[in-house]
Amino acid sequence: MLKHRWLLWIIIFAAVIGWALLLFLLGKLRSREKKLIIIVTTFLGGLFYVLEFFFPGKLHLFSWKTVNNPFTPFLEPLGQAFMVIGGFTLLLGVINLTMVHGGNIRKLKKGWYNSLAFFVAMLAMAFFGLWDAYGKQTTPFGKTAHEIYLSLFNGALVSLDATMFSLLAFYMATAAFRAFRLRSGEATVLVLAAFLVMMGQVPMGMWFTHGLPTEGSLSGFRTENIAMWLLGIISMSGLRAVNFGVGVGALAMSLRLWLYLERGAFFEQEF
Amino acid sequence: MNLEHANTFHLILMIVICATIVITIITAKRGRKLFIRRIPGLSAIDETVGRATEMGRPMLFSVGLGGIDIPTLQAMGVMSHVAKLAARYGNRLIVPVADAMMVAVCEEATREAWLEEGKPEAHRPEDIRFLSGEQFAFAAGMMGLVIREKVASTFLFGYFYAESLLLAEAGQESGAIQVAGTPATTQIPFFIVSCDYTIIGDEYYAASAYLTQEPTLLGSLVGQDITKAILLLMIVVGTILAFFYVEDKNPLIQLLTRTVGG
Repeated sequence: MLKHRWLLWIIIFAAVIGWALLLFLLGKLRSREKKLIIIVTTFLGGLFYVLEFFFPGKLHLFSWKTVNNPFTPFLEPLGQAFMVIGGFTLLLGVINLTMVHGGNIRKLKKGWYNSLAFFVAMLAMAFFGLWDAYGKQTTPFGKTAHEIYLSLFNGALVSLDATMFSLLAFYMATAAFRAFRLRSGEATVLVLAAFLVMMGQVPMGMWFTHGLPTEGSLSGFRTENIAMWLLGIISMSGLRAVNFGVGVGALAMSLRLWLYLERGAFFEQEF
Repeated sequence: MNLEHANTFHLILMIVICATIVITIITAKRGRKLFIRRIPGLSAIDETVGRATEMGRPMLFSVGLGGIDIPTLQAMGVMSHVAKLAARYGNRLIVPVADAMMVAVCEEATREAWLEEGKPEAHRPEDIRFLSGEQFAFAAGMMGLVIREKVASTFLFGYFYAESLLLAEAGQESGAIQVAGTPATTQIPFFIVSCDYTIIGDEYYAASAYLTQEPTLLGSLVGQDITKAILLLMIVVGTILAFFYVEDKNPLIQLLTRTVGG
C-alpha cells in the first residue's frame, strides 16, 4: 500500500508516458529489428508458461529443503497485465461501430433508421449503466437508476438473447429435416441412431419399454438405456478421437508459434 | 487428476511429442517429399471463391468468437489465403468479428493480402466489422449481413458455440456455398448438416499446411500423425493392461498408475 495517494497517480502517469515512449521507439525500428523483438518476446513469454507448468509445485531437494515453484506467484499478475492490455482495445469496437453506423445515417443509406436505433440503444445502456454505478439512484423518471438499468438489461438485452436462442429450435428442425434422409447406408445408420436417441429422451419413447426391468441384463434394452449407450459409448469414442486430433493439432501449432516456425500468408508479413 | 503442474511422465511425453514434431519439420525442410491426402473442404475454397466472383456477389469470412488464441490464429491463416484470392479476382470479402482486438488484426491481415496482390487501393477497411461481443447479438448481426449483402460464399472458421447453427442456416437459406471448419467438436454436427463442406477435427489444423504446401507445415503435420500413433499405442497398451490386471494387486500396474499420475 502506498503512503500517499498522489504517489499512485505519479506511477500511473509515469507508466503511461513510459509505454507511449516505448511504442514510439518501437515504431522507429526497422522491420528486421521488430521481427527480432517479436520472436524473442514470444519465446520468452512461452518459456515462462512452459517452465511454470513443468516445474513442480513443490520440489523436495535432498530431503531437508523444499523449493516452491518460483514462477507460479507471477501467474496471476501476468494474467491481470494481459487483461489490462486487452482493455486498451475497449474503444476499438465502439469506434468501429460508430464509424459504420454513423456513415449509414450520414449518407441516409437503406435501413439508416436501424443505425439510429443502435446509437439510441448504446447510449441509453451506457448512460443508465454509468448512472447506476456512479450517480445518485433517484431519477426524474419515477424509478431508480438501478431499476431502469435492470429494465433495459433484463427487459431488452436478455429477452433479445433468449429470442435468438429460441430460433435454434426452428433451425434444428429444418436442419434435421434436411439431414435425416435415407440416401445411403451411412445415412440409414445415422437416422436409426438419431431415432433411438430421440426416443430415449422423450417420455413417449421411454413408455414403449417401460415394462422391462430397471435392473439386470434386460434393462439394457430400455430405450433410455439404449440412448445413453449410444451417446456415452459409441458416440463418445468418436468424439474423443476427434478431440485427440484437435488437441495434438493445437499443440503442434502452439509449438510452431512459440519457436517462430509458423508459415503462411499471415505469419510471414513484414512489420 | 489435478494438472496444475506436470509430473515426470507428462514432461517425458511432452519432450517426445515436441521432439517428434521438430524432427519432422527439420527433415521436411531438408527436402523430403511429403504426401497429404485430399481434404475436400479445403480443396473447395478456391472453387467457392471463384463461384462468388462469377456471380458478382461478395464473400463472408468469420473467424469465430474467440480472441487472439490458437483456433483463431489458424482461422486467420485460412482467411489470409481467401483474402488473397479475393484480391486477385477483384471480389469483396466481408469479415465480421466478435472481439474488438480482432478488428485491427483482421484489418491488417486483409490489407497485407491486397498489398501482396498489388491492389492496395482496392482494400476496403469498412468490410472488417465489429458486430458485438455478445454471442447472440453477433449471430443476429452476422445473419443480417449474410442476407442484406446477399453473399455468395461464407467461410466459418474458428471457435463457435451455440450460434453456429444460426449462422450456418442463415447462409443456407440465402443460397450461399458454405465451408466450415472448427475445433469445437460439439458444433461439428450442426455445420455438417448446414454447410456444403465441413472440416472436422485435426483437418482444421492441417488447413494451413494444405493451402500453402509449406515444407515446415507439412513436416509438422507428419509429426502430428506420428504423435497420434504414439498416443494410440499408449491407449491400446493401457487398455490391455487394465483388462488383464487388477490394479491393487499387481505392483507393476501400481507403479505405472503412479507414474502416469492417476
